[in-house]
Amino acid sequence: MWWGGRGQSFNIAPQKAEPDMGLSGPKPVQRTGMLESRSCQLGSHLALGCLPGEQILAWAPGVRKGLEPELPGTLICTNLRVTFQPRGWQRSQETPLSSEYDFVLVNIGRLEAVSGLSRVQLLRPGSPLKFTPEEILIHGRDFRLLRVAFEAGGLEPQAFQVTMAIVRARAQSSQAQQYAGISLSKAGQSSGPRKPPVPLLETSEDWETERKKQGAGSWRVSPVNERFDVATSLPRYFWVPKRTLDSEVRRAFGHFHQGRGPRLSWHHPGGSDLLRCGGFYTASDPNKEDIRAVESMLQAGHSDVVLVDTVDELPSLTDVQLAHLKLRALCLPDSSAAEEKWLSALEGTRWLDYVRSCLRKASDISVLVTSRVRSVVLQERGDRDFNGLLSSLVQLLSAPEARTLLGFQSLVQREWVAAGHPFLTRLGVTGASEEAPVFLLFLDCVWQLLQQFPAEFEFSEFFLLALHDSARVPDTLTFLRDTPWERAKQSGQFNSYTQIYTAGYSQLPAGNSVNPQLSVWDWDLRYSSEQILQFHNPGYDPEHCPDSWLPRQQPNFMVSGPPSSVWLFSRGALTPLNQLCPWRDSPSLLAVSSRWLPRPAISSESLADQEWGLPSHWGACPLPPGLLLPGYLGPQIRLWRRCYLRGRPEVQKGLSAPTISGLQDELSHLQELLRKWTPRISPEDHSEKRDPNTIVSQSR
Amino acid sequence: MLGKGVVGGGGGTKAPKPSFVSYVRPEEIHTNEKEVTEKEVTLHLLPGEQLLCEASTVLKYVQEDSCQRGIYGKLVCTDFKIAFLGDDESALDNDETQFKNKVIGENDITLHCVDQIYGVFDEKKKPLFGQLKKYPEKLIIHCKDLRVFHFGLRYTKEEEVKRIVSGIIHHTQAPKLLKRLFLFSYASAAQNNTATDPKNHTVMFDTLKDWCWELERTKGNVKYKAVSVNEGYKVGERLPAFFVVPTPLPEEDVRCFQGRGIPIWCWSCHNGCALLKMSALPKEQDDGLLQVQKSFLDGIYKTIHRPPYEIVKTEDLSSNFLSLQDIQTAYSKFKQLFLIDNSTEFWDTDIKWFSLLESSSWLDIIRRCLKKAIEITECLEAQNMNVLLLEENASDLCCLLSSLVQVMMDPHCRTRVGFQSLVQKEWIMGGHCFLDRCNHLRQSDKEEVPVFLLFLDCVWQLVHQHPPAFDFTETYLTVLSDSLYLPIFSTFFFNSPHQKYINMHQRQLSLPLTQSKSSPKRGFFREETDHLIKNLLGRRISKLINSSDELQDNFREFYESWHSKPTDYHGLLLPHIEGPEIKVWAQRYLRWIPEAQILGGGRVATMSKLLEMMEEVEHLQEKIDERHHSQGALLAEAPPLLRSSARLSSLFPFALLQRHSSKPVLPTSGWKALGDEDDLAKREDEFVDLGDV
Repeated sequence: MWWGGRGQSFNIAPQKAEPDMGLSGPKPVQRTGMLESRSCQLGSHLALGCLPGEQILAWAPGVRKGLEPELPGTLICTNLRVTFQPRGWQRSQETPLSSEYDFVLVNIGRLEAVSGLSRVQLLRPGSPLKFTPEEILIHGRDFRLLRVAFEAGGLEPQAFQVTMAIVRARAQSSQAQQYAGISLSKAGQSSGPRKPPVPLLETSEDWETERKKQGAGSWRVSPVNERFDVATSLPRYFWVPKRTLDSEVRRAFGHFHQGRGPRLSWHHPGGSDLLRCGGFYTASDPNKEDIRAVESMLQAGHSDVVLVDTVDELPSLTDVQLAHLKLRALCLPDSSAAEEKWLSALEGTRWLDYVRSCLRKASDISVLVTSRVRSVVLQERGDRDFNGLLSSLVQLLSAPEARTLLGFQSLVQREWVAAGHPFLTRLGVTGASEEAPVFLLFLDCVWQLLQQFPAEFEFSEFFLLALHDSARVPDTLTFLRDTPWERAKQSGQFNSYTQIYTAGYSQLPAGNSVNPQLSVWDWDLRYSSEQILQFHNPGYDPEHCPDSWLPRQQPNFMVSGPPSSVWLFSRGALTPLNQLCPWRDSPSLLAVSSRWLPRPAISSESLADQEWGLPSHWGACPLPPGLLLPGYLGPQIRLWRRCYLRGRPEVQKGLSAPTISGLQDELSHLQELLRKWTPRISPEDHSEKRDPNTIVSQSR
Repeated sequence: MLGKGVVGGGGGTKAPKPSFVSYVRPEEIHTNEKEVTEKEVTLHLLPGEQLLCEASTVLKYVQEDSCQRGIYGKLVCTDFKIAFLGDDESALDNDETQFKNKVIGENDITLHCVDQIYGVFDEKKKPLFGQLKKYPEKLIIHCKDLRVFHFGLRYTKEEEVKRIVSGIIHHTQAPKLLKRLFLFSYASAAQNNTATDPKNHTVMFDTLKDWCWELERTKGNVKYKAVSVNEGYKVGERLPAFFVVPTPLPEEDVRCFQGRGIPIWCWSCHNGCALLKMSALPKEQDDGLLQVQKSFLDGIYKTIHRPPYEIVKTEDLSSNFLSLQDIQTAYSKFKQLFLIDNSTEFWDTDIKWFSLLESSSWLDIIRRCLKKAIEITECLEAQNMNVLLLEENASDLCCLLSSLVQVMMDPHCRTRVGFQSLVQKEWIMGGHCFLDRCNHLRQSDKEEVPVFLLFLDCVWQLVHQHPPAFDFTETYLTVLSDSLYLPIFSTFFFNSPHQKYINMHQRQLSLPLTQSKSSPKRGFFREETDHLIKNLLGRRISKLINSSDELQDNFREFYESWHSKPTDYHGLLLPHIEGPEIKVWAQRYLRWIPEAQILGGGRVATMSKLLEMMEEVEHLQEKIDERHHSQGALLAEAPPLLRSSARLSSLFPFALLQRHSSKPVLPTSGWKALGDEDDLAKREDEFVDLGDV
């Protein structure tokens, strides 16, 4: 009943397992004497929960505070994580990482030691600890908070040790390579062939299946990047127009920033295509054939091409990072913002403003994509940040399929992981300066959609929270590498059980992989089956599920010859472009790096007087039934409290349970009762017991 | 006869030049008129309602289109409402008409609901009042429920413009006599229509029995007694006919100062502590009189400070709490955020939304009220003290705080009937000056303070934070707030029970719905909407165990300790008052803004799912019961509750605007630059259907 009401992601009562000998035995009186032996026992006991290669650095008994109920247990620091192990709680072999008690070292954003009433010392890596802490507060960068009060009575040295160990381990953990050699026990257990729960898009079969599912008939899978020699940040396979040869692709891509040429992101069943590409590499000097190849790839068989300047009206990476830092500071429990000034402080972070601009832009683009047949090309210089964000949002708005659990995970896998979003750099794991949580911004946008359309999504807020928290958990390769190339190259070293991609990159026969690569989508690594059940949105209306959504297949209007109309979408307005590529005849435009036309000078006043309407030949086509148009007005963009205010338990407490789930429980209980009494039940009994495993691994 | 026709707009028609005023010439209207099927739109008049003036060929602008388009029709003014006739109502789906308001149509504005009227002269907007020398080309009406109407008068005959504009200004802005309220014409015309709903058990507190019942319910009858000393309003006109005072209080004390200066009982807590209120004694300059007052008060305090009475804590609301002025200023700033003349204005404010919101300090006022109510609750609940609320007339913030405390402490007040009884007890019988505070008679703008709305907003915060604790939903509160301006219910149109008594009884009028008035719920929407108003889940939540008898000595501790425990929805209920927790009552304030519409979204999206599941639960429950009693009394199928395949919008059930066809979200300035339309049309012809390649 209390979903997340206690400041946790989930509200499942800690398992009250029978007390085990390791922790409950010794009483305080005996403690000092038994410390040695106890430590031994404890060590061996704790080791049970450790992953191979993980080492316990220090531990101390304590009580977890701030959340109800207060839990006695042990605070443990290893070379991977800080974990609070409640007394009597046994780490399940099934879920080697706990979503509730674990704080991965890289996730620690701030550390505070408290002694006495007022002595708070901020611990920076390397700063000395001058007193024995009575209490320690760990602020996660994912907005979680762990507050542990150490036990008194002769154990102060341990409290000191564990605190120092955390500080040291935290300092050393900035290198992601730290985790090399640690492997997940789950992988060792799995025997026999196992299909990943979500297609990882590492084989051409995956791409082919996905292409067929989207019905992109005029596209094909190109293996031109199989050896990552076109671009290391691109996946090994991607979709290009059917008529374009691989050699043309290779040459054309050379004229784009970092070799990221135009590829299909999504094919709308109505006939439009959504493409993404990097900025034009203006220093290159393409010949006529190359230009023709680039143009035909951008045009993709459509007569209308709309180039979308992705970064226009969106925040820069630095803006996003700054806003996220400010938001984190504001959401800390001791944030200095007064209650009556809270809203303007929130506005001051500009985070919600950025969420708004993303939603607004995505909403505009999805109208462009769905209203008629055309090719919409998202162009961002790097093509690795906001292109992914916008293209995923557009798909969420336009395709009911993407709003299912499986569909959303595939979407993230395709548009973020496979498309080479530099997770490691952006989430600050490497400590590099280009940190910017674009992915978390995306998750916030999705949460806003979830709030606005509670019946349209198969997944719940808790699924988004789980994904949010997983971004910094170093258990799988999904979010731990910057490029698909690194992921492929290092997967062997990271996890000895997984297949090693050797030179030659021979195609592994599908279904024959003995130990498939683990991904973030293997939720059972970190979440219990009860938690996974909560990933489902009980309010999801099956009427909106993809089965009942029949796309009207519109006839394809194809025009031979050069593109007849090319537009640039920028500042919420369409302006005509004379040409697609910047190189052709006007050398003056080459000077403009990625933008080849001066921006239309439209002030907000003149926008007001404009007629709202699409050009007549695009027609007033009714918007497809599956399209969501999100609200993005000030009052409609809200703060994701369950995520950002987790560190402030007083705000979290009493968040009322979504009552629909209570009803669902009642319903299944009644059905259960009835089933017991009657051997056969009416056919309209549609609440089959859900098996958590089928949720994430539904057949493709 | 009506000059009706949908003008402008659609993708196919010639793109109009963007300008502030209509580009349509009357000839064009004429051509369009032929295409539109002629349908007589009739004016529906309530019993006793009279048509005062009308004007035809008025253009009602469609707000969402930046004032580019509109609908022609007739604008009428009756003694009850301003109405625009011209909307083709048959265009609405059945699903939507099902939820239509029975009394007020989409284009109706009751006279009391008009807030401010502006005229546009040469594209300049000026407020209109009094006698006009020049008549505007456009009329903008801001309503108290935050709707905004734009009426273009350019193509209306001059005399008609004069008549309708001065008519509207006169009937909405000029001071009015109480006896001219539409209420009375309606009451005399619709006298036989006094059907009462037997299911409605709202306690009206207009008999001694009602007060005794309330005393018994709260177990306050040990120390307090109901008195009928003011029967027939012989003692004071500000007092209700019956009320409750401490048992030892002599009746002559009540008479001394017309009921001022005596503690009047509001409610008793489970531990015996009581919430009392007192209006201040008249301010006197004369020392002798002051001496009399002082000794009178000493006597009173002696009575209530003696056992069996608990220690009394006095809360002086006139001196160290919000002033009515604060509330008025805050709300007038706050409502400007939602009174949007055109979309651009809205977008301009959007970026600064939070700071604008904050600078109105309306939310902070809500927070302060909730905080004060928690403080009072803490005294009653944790410190076992009586609380005496003190205010000039004991009829503004006194009403607000005492009813808020009761909503928080008494689960009965969180049922619909209980809440209505509470409003009846604290606000109607408590003598809240609805007539002045709502400025129904337009006599003094200074007196207009939305105290009752502030109370509803505070309750909304509670409902929003703890939906399962309430029997009603936010929709109920929104509808209730609307009925403040609906002069067919007598509830909110008097300053005191005495005023109502002399005006209704002496003129021998009985109002319809007199017995159920404080909520128009049953009569207002059709039955189907019931589900939206009644909280479906409020009653289903099983009782949780609560052990909150610990004594805490200050507010913080009390507040934090309550929030750290599981919530007992049937017990004490405290709101969160931290910064992020006080929110904007979006349903009430945003429901008319087209840009705020989320098609297929909002809370209503899950409603049908919820209803379906409830139906199924009930069905199964019945089956199980059947089995238990092993008697197969076949139960009738539950009627389908909300069966609608249509995607409802988040503004449901209020605004009915929906984008049925492609409403371009995109401002596309560039299109016109593309060249003339012939070119585009030609290009279209060139399209060759190659089919699937």
